[in-house]
Amino acid sequence: MVTAWTIARTEVTRLLRDRTNLFFVFVFPLLLVLVIGAQFGGGGQVQVGIVAPDGDTMAQELIATVDATDGVETVTVPDAVTLREDVARGRVSAGLVVPAGYEQSVVEVEPVEVSFIGRPDATGGSLRSVVAAAIAQQATPGRAALLVAEAEVDAELPALRAAAVERRGQAVGVDVVARTLGTDELSEEFAGLGQFDLGASTQLFLFTFLTSLSGGAALIQLRQLGIAHRMLASPTSMPAIVGGLVGGRLLVALVQAAYIIAATLLLFQVDWGAPSATIPVVVLFSVVSAAAGVVIGSVLRNDSQAAGVGIGVGLGFAALGGSMVPLELFPDALQVVSRFTPHAWANQAMAEIVRRDGGVVEVLPQLGALAAFAVVLTVVAVVSLQRSLSR
Amino acid sequence: MVRGSRLDQVLVCSGLRKAFGELQAVDEVSFSIARGETYGLLGPNGAGKTTSISMVAGLLRPDAGEVTVLGRRLTPTAAAAKSAVGLVPQEVAIYPDLSARENLRFFGRLQGLDRRELDTRTDEVLALIGLTDRAGDRADTFSGGMKRRLNIGIGLLHRPELLILDEPTVGVDPQSRNAILESVEDLATDGLAVLYTTHYMEEAERLCDRIAIVDKGRIVAEGTRRELIATIGEHDLVRLEIDGDVQAAVEQLRGLSELGSVEVEDDHIVCLLAGAARRLPALLGAVAEVGAVTTGVEVREPDLEDVFLHLTGAALRD
Ligand SMILES: Nc1ncnc2c1ncn2[C@@H]1O[C@H](COP(=O)(O)OP(=O)(O)O)[C@@H](O)[C@H]1O
Ligand SMILES: [Mg+2]
Repeated sequence: MVTAWTIARTEVTRLLRDRTNLFFVFVFPLLLVLVIGAQFGGGGQVQVGIVAPDGDTMAQELIATVDATDGVETVTVPDAVTLREDVARGRVSAGLVVPAGYEQSVVEVEPVEVSFIGRPDATGGSLRSVVAAAIAQQATPGRAALLVAEAEVDAELPALRAAAVERRGQAVGVDVVARTLGTDELSEEFAGLGQFDLGASTQLFLFTFLTSLSGGAALIQLRQLGIAHRMLASPTSMPAIVGGLVGGRLLVALVQAAYIIAATLLLFQVDWGAPSATIPVVVLFSVVSAAAGVVIGSVLRNDSQAAGVGIGVGLGFAALGGSMVPLELFPDALQVVSRFTPHAWANQAMAEIVRRDGGVVEVLPQLGALAAFAVVLTVVAVVSLQRSLSR
Repeated sequence: MVRGSRLDQVLVCSGLRKAFGELQAVDEVSFSIARGETYGLLGPNGAGKTTSISMVAGLLRPDAGEVTVLGRRLTPTAAAAKSAVGLVPQEVAIYPDLSARENLRFFGRLQGLDRRELDTRTDEVLALIGLTDRAGDRADTFSGGMKRRLNIGIGLLHRPELLILDEPTVGVDPQSRNAILESVEDLATDGLAVLYTTHYMEEAERLCDRIAIVDKGRIVAEGTRRELIATIGEHDLVRLEIDGDVQAAVEQLRGLSELGSVEVEDDHIVCLLAGAARRLPALLGAVAEVGAVTTGVEVREPDLEDVFLHLTGAALRD
């Protein structure tokens, strides 16, 4: 046990000493979280959070119009307070609160206000126009009706138009009250980067896996240098050596994952969801990654080969598993294929945890799949490592 | 030379065999080493030296035969027996990104040393291998000789009874090489049993009390340097440099009686024979008979190189 810990700990020490490693393990992932987050804003689509009364057909029509806009997607939010927080934290790009009795007001052409909550950025501005246009569509017939009702029935069109212009400023029918969140309401200076919530977890999986696979080369190096022989010549037992080496790779994966979580939490205030749900996902994924790295390091014989295979498989699995392009945008066939990657399960779990405030119960299926990956790969890793050491 | 009863033997190997597929890498190798004795395995690359000591150190399970260290059977799972052995692998088996001290402490822990032993032994070994001043520097900043010294130091850390050194001077500059050879000599005087493999005859001659000449997985001869050279008989070695048909000259020479052996080595003809001075005219005559001209003659006492050539018909070094 003590010797296994010595071996495992040494692998982490070595990781922290290597400058190129430091860049790829610690700096690069954050850069990518930043770049990808800035580009995709946490998903392919800009999301507008909606609070609307149940069973209100006018409200449903409004939501449908907004949702039909290219690149815009609506998500339902329970109440106005949550919505404001979601906008502030960047979980959604903007919000819309449709008041109770909206349908009745529209139909009876009574004044009613729909609130728009946006952030002080370009996306906020354009979403506001999208919402305003959708509301205008619903408001126009009412205004026209009002005008017709109040004007002389046989009035000429030019006179009617003049009357309409005169009333333009008056509060009649539906109107939008736009509210742009001020900087103080945006949680700290990086809150605008809250759109990194999902980008951060997808990158965590991409990099933890990638680092683990290329880290398999470290095992090849141990064999090539004769260090493995030296370990085997000592009284330390084979199980302790294997345990130490596999444990070392796991420790490296966990260090990297913990670092990415801590750094994105501090720098970008990324929401990592409930720890009781997120931690099992990340730990199981780390076990999978470490074991996959050990398999590569045991089966392959030279370290440049391992680095090549590691990067190829690492990036390939990440792409297939939704760590580059969100799974939701995959065609059906590809979604099926993606289930063979641990990334897909981990990414799905994090989407559930972060977007829908899922707890450990909600992600049990994903945890089960990850555990299955972990068990199978760990068994293969232990057997192949043992075999490679006694060659 | 120390040769005692079986009880004094630190290491006893008997009938070791190991095959890799078709290749019989080690074939019926048996030898033993007593306390304070330095035993050499001398043979060319591929002779099976590393494979043999891998079995002695418990890295490889032999196909047949057994290894006992201080009377205890040594297998890959025999912790107690393995504690008595220090292995210095042929490669420089150290972590390049750890310091000398960290390397020593790491392997010390694997040897099961407790904290206090670890502290004192690390300092002692650093002093012994002359790396006290560089203890905190990463191993990849060391010269080849320093790395080799650290490599040996790690093998000594846990005070083994048997130290196994696998070609410890390969790729080392002459000065470091001499330092390594000196420290090995000192170790043996301290009562350590040393198993030393090399393909350098001079090292085997200088260091080893007894030498086994290994070729193609077998021990072809064993004994002290004197005993090994005596296997050639009371012979001298004559080296002829000739101008003409070397093969024809060799055939002609082989026709002469009393010649121990006639071999070609780097375009020279090497003959073993008794009473060289008396027989020289006959040799030169034989060369002249095939129309070749002798351009140089050298007569000397044979060495281990010649013993190897005599026994295997091949040169020790290629
Ligand atoms: N793991 C292995 N698999 C296959 N062949 C091996 C292996 N190890 C050594 N050999 C072969 O066994 C023979 C003896 O090798 P080795 O013991 O390393 O020789 P030496 O140490 O004397 O140079 C060589 O022909 C070598 O190629
Ligand atoms: Mg060798």
